[in-house]
Formats: sequence, C-alpha cells, structure tokens
Amino acid sequence: MPKRLQFPLFLLRKLLKVAFTVWVVTTLIFFLIRLMPSNPIEQYIQNLVIQYGMSYEEATSRAASLFSLDLSQSMFAQYLEYLKDAVRLDFGTSFLSPGVQVSEIIAARLPWTLFTVGTGLILSFIVGTALGAIAAYRRESWYEPIISGLSSFLSAIPDFLIAIFLILFFGVFTWWGRGSIVPIFQLRGNYGAGVNIGWNWPFIKSVLDHSFVPILTYFFSQIGIWVLLMKGSTTGCLNADYAVIARARGLRPRKILTSYIGRNAMLPIATEFAMRLGFIIGGSLIIEQLFVYQGVGLELLKATTNRDYPLMQGIFLIMTIAIVLSNLFAEILYSLLDPRIRVKGGSKHA
Amino acid sequence: MNTNTPHPTNTVPSASTVPSASSVASENAKGAAMDPRPVLLDINKLSIEYRTKRGKLKAVHEASLRIRKGESVAIIGESGCGKTTLATSIVHMLPRNATISGGSIGFFPEGKAEIRLEALPEKEMRAVRWNDIVMMFQASQSSFNPVAKIRTQFLDTFQAHNPEISTDDALNRSRELLELVFLNADAVLNSFPHELSGGMKQRTLIALSLLLDPQLVILDEPTTALDLITQKKILNLLNSLRDSCGFSMMFITHDLGIVTQLADRVVTMYAGVVVENAPTADFFSTPLHPYSQGLLRAIPKLNATFEQLYSIPGSTPDLVDKMDGCLFAPRCAHCHARCLTEIPALRQTDNDRWVACHLYEEVTHGAY
Repeated sequence: MPKRLQFPLFLLRKLLKVAFTVWVVTTLIFFLIRLMPSNPIEQYIQNLVIQYGMSYEEATSRAASLFSLDLSQSMFAQYLEYLKDAVRLDFGTSFLSPGVQVSEIIAARLPWTLFTVGTGLILSFIVGTALGAIAAYRRESWYEPIISGLSSFLSAIPDFLIAIFLILFFGVFTWWGRGSIVPIFQLRGNYGAGVNIGWNWPFIKSVLDHSFVPILTYFFSQIGIWVLLMKGSTTGCLNADYAVIARARGLRPRKILTSYIGRNAMLPIATEFAMRLGFIIGGSLIIEQLFVYQGVGLELLKATTNRDYPLMQGIFLIMTIAIVLSNLFAEILYSLLDPRIRVKGGSKHA
Repeated sequence: MNTNTPHPTNTVPSASTVPSASSVASENAKGAAMDPRPVLLDINKLSIEYRTKRGKLKAVHEASLRIRKGESVAIIGESGCGKTTLATSIVHMLPRNATISGGSIGFFPEGKAEIRLEALPEKEMRAVRWNDIVMMFQASQSSFNPVAKIRTQFLDTFQAHNPEISTDDALNRSRELLELVFLNADAVLNSFPHELSGGMKQRTLIALSLLLDPQLVILDEPTTALDLITQKKILNLLNSLRDSCGFSMMFITHDLGIVTQLADRVVTMYAGVVVENAPTADFFSTPLHPYSQGLLRAIPKLNATFEQLYSIPGSTPDLVDKMDGCLFAPRCAHCHARCLTEIPALRQTDNDRWVACHLYEEVTHGAY
C-alpha cells in the first residue's frame, strides 16, 4: 500500500464507522421515542376539538396540513420517511410550535449552549490540568492536600447542587447589608429584557452577565475531575525512567517538567478532553433548566415533556453526531500526540 | 557457630574454600607496584542513611573506594547491599528520603580543579551530570522519552550543557557517536524510541552517554533485560569504547561473568559496607573475605546437580538495627569472638587490595 494513501484511507474507514454508528443510534432513538406513551398529534387534534369546537375530521385535516408527519402510517413507513429527510438534515417541523423548522430551533439554541458549556469546559480544563500538574510536582507541599481534597469534593457533588449553591451565593444571600452580588433576574435567561440583539456592547454585556454563573457552574462541576486526572497522570510520569535519566543527563528542571513529564502526562488527558467536547451539546439539561437558559438542553427537555417527536429526533441526532465525531477527533488527536500508536506502514528501517 | 581463629603463620583459615597460602603470597608479591594512573574519583568513608518509618537505615556505611583514570571498577553484592545507593549518591540522585550523613566524594577531572561532590549545590551538580559524570540507571529500555524522536533527545542534551553549539555540529557529533556504536546514525536519529530494538536502545544510550566526553561513566546493571548475544556485544562495545575514549567506568552487577569481561577491579559490598576491593584476577583466584569466597562458590557449575548448588547460609542483616560487630558474622564460617564485638576496618593487605575482615589483620599495612 502506498504510504501517502494511508491517512486518507484510515480517515475514510473511520468516517464510514461514524456513519454506521450514527445510523444505529438514530434508528434506536426513532423507535424509543415512539415507545413513549401518548400520541402528540392525537393530543393536538383533541385539543382543537375541545377548545375550538371543530369536528374531529376538520381537526384531523388541520393537523395533517400542519405537520409533515403522518402518525397513522405504519411505523416502518414513517421510519423510511424520517431517514430520507434526516440524510438531508431536514428534521421536519416542530409539533410544539407548528410551522417552525426543527433545524431553525436547533440553530437558534445551539450557539448558547456551545458558548456556556464550551467555555466552562475549556476553562476547567486549563485551570484543572495546571493545578493537577502543580499538585503532582509539589506533592510534599502544604497546599497539595488542599488542591486534591477540594478536587475530590467538587468532583463528588452533582452539578445541579453546585448550580443551586451558586444561585444562592450570588443571587440570594445578602452580604453585609449590601444586597446580593448579582441581581437575581440576571440568573434567569440568556440576556436582559430591552436590549437590542446584535453586536452592541449592552447586548454583549448582558449576555456575559447572564452566562457568568452558568459558566461558573460548568467550571466547578468539571474542574475536580481534571485536577485528579492530571495529578494521577503526572505522578505516574514523575518517576518514569526517562524522567530520571533526563535529570541524570543534566537537563534543566523546567525542560524536564515540560517536554518530558508534562508532555507524557497530557496524553490521556488530551484524549479525555477531546471526547468530552462531544458532550457539550447534551451535557446541560438540568443546569439550563435551573438558570432558565434557552439552550439545546432546555429545548430538549421541553420537547420531551410535550412529545415533540421531530424536535427530539433532531436534537438527539445532533448530540449523537457530536459525540461520535469527537470520539473520532480524540482518536486522531491521540495518534498525533503519541507516536507509538501512529498509523504507520511497513518497517521504517532495519 | 564456628570460632576458627586465624592461622598464626599465613593468616589464611584452614577451611578448604580458600586457596593455599602460597598462592595468596605469590599474588601479593605480583601486585606490589602501585598503580601509577591518577585518581579520578575518591570516595572516602561515605555513609548514606535513609529515613524510614522504623528509624534510620544505614544503606551505606563508611564506604571507601578509588577509581583511577581509565580504570573499570565493578561493584558486586546481593540486592539491597547499597551498590546502587552508593553509585547514585555520586551524582546526587538519591531518593528524597536519603541523605549523605558522612564522608566525602572527591572528583578530580582532568584539567580542572577538584570538585567535592558530597556537598555540591544542585545547580553546579547539574553541570557535572552527563558532562563529567554519566550515570546510567537500570532499565535502559525506557530511558528515552517515548514521544520525542531520538534526534530531539540528543539535541536536548547538548542544549542543557552547551547552548551555543549549532544544531549541525550537535547532529554531526551525534552521528559520529552513533556510528561508533555501529548504528545507522540517520535512521536512529529520525526514529522514535519504540521503533528501536532493545539492543539498539542500549547502544543508542551508550552513544548518548559519550556525547559530552565524560570522564566517568557509571552503569547500573548495564546488560540486564538483554539476551546473552546482545549482552556480549554490548560488553565488547563498552571495552573498545573505553580504550578509544579513555573514560573511567564504574558498574554495578550481579553477574560475575560480566565482571571478568569488563572490570579491572572488583569491589564487594555487603550490607552497605565495602568488604573487599581487589584487582579482578586476584579476586577470582584468591578471594579474601569469607563473603567473597561464598559468592564465588555460589557460581553454578555446568556439571553440578541441583543439590550441589551452593548458597551462603542465612540472610542479610536488618540495616536499621545497630551494628555491633562484623555484619557478616552471623553467616560466616570463620566467625570468632572478636567478629561479634568489633567492626573490622577496611585494611590494605597489599599495595593493591583491601579487605575488611579480622582474619587478615596481621598482614595489613594500615587503614585504607
């Protein structure tokens, strides 16, 4: 096999695997959703009959014209229809807000979630790995038990408890007769009322004000695990033979810490980070609900409560694709970072 | 316990494990002339202690030895006798809980002033490491950073000691050394460590160790984890490099076969104490210390059955306990009253050999 074809072929193989995985998961989701009790279109029709006094036939034809979906079709026929549309990223229209494309709803909500969860993840990763490395290098210092203890503590608390605590801390408790740190209305929603949406400072400031505590929640709920992972990984590399020999070679301590210990300790952590990128979209259900933050998580929650099949399918599919792609990204990243598992062809030399 | 007293005339115990008196005498006469080579490393009454939960563990106790320029010294003894501790203390790479509690290590590099290593600050020690004294630890199979090319690791070494050197010069010197150890220099430089075989890694490490022209190379079990043929190749390589590059060598081993091939001198350690220091030929023909005699007897013979395998009875003492007499006394066939109360000093029995045993007091020429 010619060498220059190896990476494209490797990538092609992986992408086919990704497509297969996504197909399996969407199929499962399609049928699982329909296993949930109650039929949303029937409910809509009943609603029209009761509220507007329409006849059942009238209401049914109204519903049929509104929804592209025909739930009286056989399950398999619906499935084929769904697959055909999903390939074109057309998820149909929402039940809950009739006439609105699911893709539009997702497009409107996704940036908010990506922004808050993503920022929280990146900040916690940077600070967490730095603290973890320090805890490992200075494992005889007085502050190492504090770092490790706090990290274990934080990683053991569920994220919604952290969110509730932060809401209390910032928005409810009053401090020395001065009122709360953040006005409580800033802990609800994505931005304040009465700002013009667009690239203007009042809007950006309002967005930052409103996202501050949610981001802090994501930060605190994840930092503990990064500290512990990095500390463990670094400790394992500190006494590795190559680190000892590097010292015997007279290398400068800083060089040993970065190029020899740090570089190797980061290997498993970087993979973990890449994999977690995929969970950004789905990892925010409860937190977004607590902050009434209009993101994908909250939208999914609403869709599920109201049996909005197309919207649920759309969001689940996006989540699946994100997770599978981030796993692929992790795999590629790892092979770039670690030459030992790099795809290679034939023997390099005798 | 056997309470043999030294023989009044030739001081050799009557036990059959020791060759006849006449051969000892003739060996002594041969080694009469002092070695004229200058001393490179002078370890004098060095003691090293480990802090442990049970108290202070005396890993090395008043050990003395000299390494001359161009000389190759083997340190032998069973596991836990302080060989590695002694060697790592030279470059201050002891574990955190170990301290040098006494004695001195004098290093006399050619063309430079004496360096007292035992109290050298870490910053100055960093400059000595690899530049003057190379310490190669056990497990050379994982000595290289797995995520960096060999080339980077050679350049890193130059960078640490001689930042002014150009990359081209550094690479040329690296190639020269890799070729000296019979490797395809460019292929190795562009490889990652996992792409090299065990023997190649060991040879690459040897090339790396000679990069800065060190004066002393310390090897901790240089050939463990290698097959016999590769071992042989590495030993031949080390011998020829020592001839061509002129460094001195100190190596730690359990393998007496390696000692005969590589060492000019054998230092036997037992429980943290240097019990014998002799030229290799003398050590094998006439071991003086009962422990050395036991070690040589324990070499399995090809025609011996399993039952005939010899091992020194008993086990090594607990180094946390206080020492009262000779540490080997409980296992010694020649132990007598004095051995239990008085620690024997390392005494010179001849111009070129030393032993720490009460059996040989009469023929000594003074303390080490």
